[in-house]
Order: sequence, then C-alpha cells, then structure tokens
Amino acid sequence: MKRFLAAAALMAALVFGEAGQAATVLITGSNRGLGLEFARLYAARSWDVIATCRNPGGTDDLKALSAERPKVVLERLDVTDQNEIDALAEKYKSRSIDLLINNAGVLGELTGQSLGSFDSDEFRRVMDTNVYGALTVTQAFKDNVIASEHKKIVAMTSVAGSLVGPWENIGGLYYYRASKSALNNVMRAVGIDLKKHGVVVGLVAPGAADTDMLRNDFKYGGPMVPPAESVAGMVMAIDRFTQESAKNPINYDGVILDW
Amino acid sequence: MRYILIALLLTAGLVGAKTAEAATVLITGSNRGLGFEFSKQYAEAGWDVIATCRTPERADELKALANKYKKITVERLDVLDQDEIDALAAKYKGKPIDVLINNAGVLGDLEGQTLGTFDYGNFQRVMGVNVYGVLAVSEAFREHVAASDQKKIVGITSGAGIISRGGGGGQLHFYRASKVALNMGLKGVASDLRDRDVVVGIIAPGAADTDMRRELVGDLAAQDQEAADSVAGMIKVIADLTQATSTQPYNYDGRPMPW
Repeated sequence: MKRFLAAAALMAALVFGEAGQAATVLITGSNRGLGLEFARLYAARSWDVIATCRNPGGTDDLKALSAERPKVVLERLDVTDQNEIDALAEKYKSRSIDLLINNAGVLGELTGQSLGSFDSDEFRRVMDTNVYGALTVTQAFKDNVIASEHKKIVAMTSVAGSLVGPWENIGGLYYYRASKSALNNVMRAVGIDLKKHGVVVGLVAPGAADTDMLRNDFKYGGPMVPPAESVAGMVMAIDRFTQESAKNPINYDGVILDW
Repeated sequence: MRYILIALLLTAGLVGAKTAEAATVLITGSNRGLGFEFSKQYAEAGWDVIATCRTPERADELKALANKYKKITVERLDVLDQDEIDALAAKYKGKPIDVLINNAGVLGDLEGQTLGTFDYGNFQRVMGVNVYGVLAVSEAFREHVAASDQKKIVGITSGAGIISRGGGGGQLHFYRASKVALNMGLKGVASDLRDRDVVVGIIAPGAADTDMRRELVGDLAAQDQEAADSVAGMIKVIADLTQATSTQPYNYDGRPMPW
C-alpha cells in the first residue's frame, strides 16, 4: 500500500509537473535583433525566458518586454566571459532548460576582414564570439538541457557560412563566413556528443533579416525579411527538430542549406 | 615589318628566359612532417625552395637538407607573427613565387578541445595557426604568387574539416572548426584573386606517419602511409590544379572530396 501510494504520488508529480510547468528557453544576445524577437516569441508562448545579453542595464526593448511579461528574466551574459558563463550556470544549476539558443554573434568590421587589410584582433573577436562563445555556453548549460523535456540546443548560422551557395564566389567577410562554417562543423560534432543523452543540436539561419547587423554593420541594400517573420520561421524549424531533421542547417523559410 | 620581327624575337626571348628559370615554392612549417617532405621533393625536382619554419636554428634536419640541396633557402617564419611575415614578404619583394604551400598547422592539445574540457587558449592557438596564419601569409605573398607562372596558393585541409561526412564527436572540436574555417577562408582567397588568375588548392594529406599524427594516435601512426607518399601525391594534385578545379578539395591521392 505504501509503495502504491508513493508510486501514485510520483505519477501525480510527473503529470502535474509536465502539465503545470512551462518550458524554459535561454537565449544569448537577446537585447536586440533576432535575439529580442526570440524572447518575444517564446514569451508569447508563455515559456519561461532567460534572456541574456552583455549589458542588461542598457536594453530598453528587453526591459520593456520583461516588464510586460514577468516570465522573461534578464540576465547578464557576455559569451566571451568565462566567469560570467560559469556564474550564470551556477545560478541555474539543476534548473532544466528545454531550449538553448546560441544567438549572440558579431559580423565583425568589414575592413579588417578584407584581403589586403586583415586584422588579427578582429579575427579573434569574431571567432571568440561566434564559435568559442557558442561552444562554451553549450558546454556550461548542457546538463540543464539534458535534464529538460525538449532537450534542444540551437546555434545561429548563416547562408554566408555555406561553402556552396550564393556566397561561394564572393570574396570578403572572411572571418564571419569562416566562423559560421566552423560553427556548423563543431555544433555537428557537439550534436554527436550529446545524442546519447537525447539532445538534438541544430543549426538555423535567419535569411536576410532586417537587423542592425545586416543593415548597419553590413550595409545591406537588398530586400530584407522582418525579424519577427524570420524568427517565426526558425522557431517552426526548431519545433520540428529531430535528430534527422537537424542534420543540415535550416533557413528560416524551411530551405535546407548546403554545408 | 622589322618592328614585328623584333617584337617576335623579344617575346620569344622573354618566354625562353621564363621557362628556363626554375619555379619557386614557399612552404610554411617545413622543419618536420609534411612540410619537410614538400621541401625535399620540390628540391629534388629542381625547384627553388623557400623553406620556412619558426626556429631554423633548431631545424637540424632541414638545415642538413638545405646543405645537400643548394636550391633550398631556409627562412624564419612564425605564421602568427605579423612582423616576421611582413619582413619575409618584403625581403622577397619582386620575386615570383609559383606555389605557396600553407602547410604550417597544429592539432592543438587533445585535452582541452572536447565537450566538458574546452580551453580558450587552445582554441585561440588552433584557430590562429590553422586559419589566421594561412590567411595572413596568403595575403602577404599574394603579389609574389600573382606575378609567377603557376600562380598557386595551397592550404592543407583534413577529413576532419569535411562537414558533410558528419565527422565524429568526441574529440578535436577546435581542429575540426579550424579546418572548415580554413576551407572557407581559402574559398575567399580564390574569389578575391580569381581575376589575377590565381588558383587555390585545398588538399588533404590522408593519414600519414608524421609527428602530428603521432600526437593523435601514437605508435599506430606506423600503420599509416609514409609522409613521402602523401606528399608525392599532393605535389601531383598541385601540379594538376587549374582554374577550373580551383578550391575543389582533393585527397592526396587525387580523389575529389566533398565539403
């Protein structure tokens, strides 16, 4: 009888837990652009959102979102600062994180990554943020993801990071492109590492989303996609992620990108 | 008519002089392993060899080789040292370099590039040498290459940088990241220098018995092919490269590889 009661209590706890507990997402670089849109979208779904960025004090949009949606919690996280990563992982220790979105990324200055004016500091900045940052954040929160229900880790790649495709015969933007192709390869390796825990690691690309990065950093003049549309498309891909579907990078519009 | 004859004679003379001159190759990391074999085999083939390495005073084998083959000139070059790169490029200013072989590379510590033990210093070193070093050296010597007959820039990639193969998890995450980033960087170089008729080679050495390979698999490397065989294959691949096959990744044995 005692055993039966314990079992019943456990069942109830599991069921209640499943039904009553919202899923949690952690997003890096969520103060602007796509990161902000991810935070908005998951908040609208009533998820618990851990919205991280380098300087939470200076992010009015995110603060407004958090004021409106108490489930959005702002946290300080510079993905190139190991101490901050460790501190945040410690703070959320044993908290399950269903979805980790490695969104933080930089384009880098255009001049320092053009043949003829290569700049090693710029190289390091782009690689550190876009590749090492995603790796080390993933490492720090992998146990939180393993402990969750959804068990998904996502990194933001780019069509410019494909070795084959519209960018293949265009020069320039060396570090950004190399960083995204490097990211593709290592996230794939991390996916193999975490497969045994049931974790799906996937890559999504935002298309030409109308963000600060594309408009101001890259000075892109072509047609752009509203960030909310881009993010909605990527979230649709993330929702459907399986070990199989997450094999290749997926563009926001559902198109599978080449490596 | 006389002018045409003179012009013809002049052209013939120039062409004759050009073909009579030995071709020149510059090799980075030529103190050991594949770089050493490249130096040896190009020297045996009668090329002028600029064999560079970080510390020539400790490169006894290379110095002995240079004593045997007078066509080998040993030069100091740390591909992470911009001053050394600039100094060497200035020293050889106006000298055509037919083939630039970006051979210098590191595997990185095995510890410190697996999920759970990521080490930033290790990341920085692997990406610095394997990616930035290649870009910086290619940038510095691009005019020498563009001024040559053969106009070839080569990077040494690896099967670990072939994303579509799915690679493996477990180890070498930074090395994997670096090799795919290298491939992307070399595609950029090819795009930027295509109108100068520069051809870019992306070649994998296969499993060859080198010090680097022994860092990875220990004495099992004895079962690999000899470094000399791998290099002989790569030299043939380089000789066969054309604008049409520029940036197509090849294995040392001439088999095309996917991205």
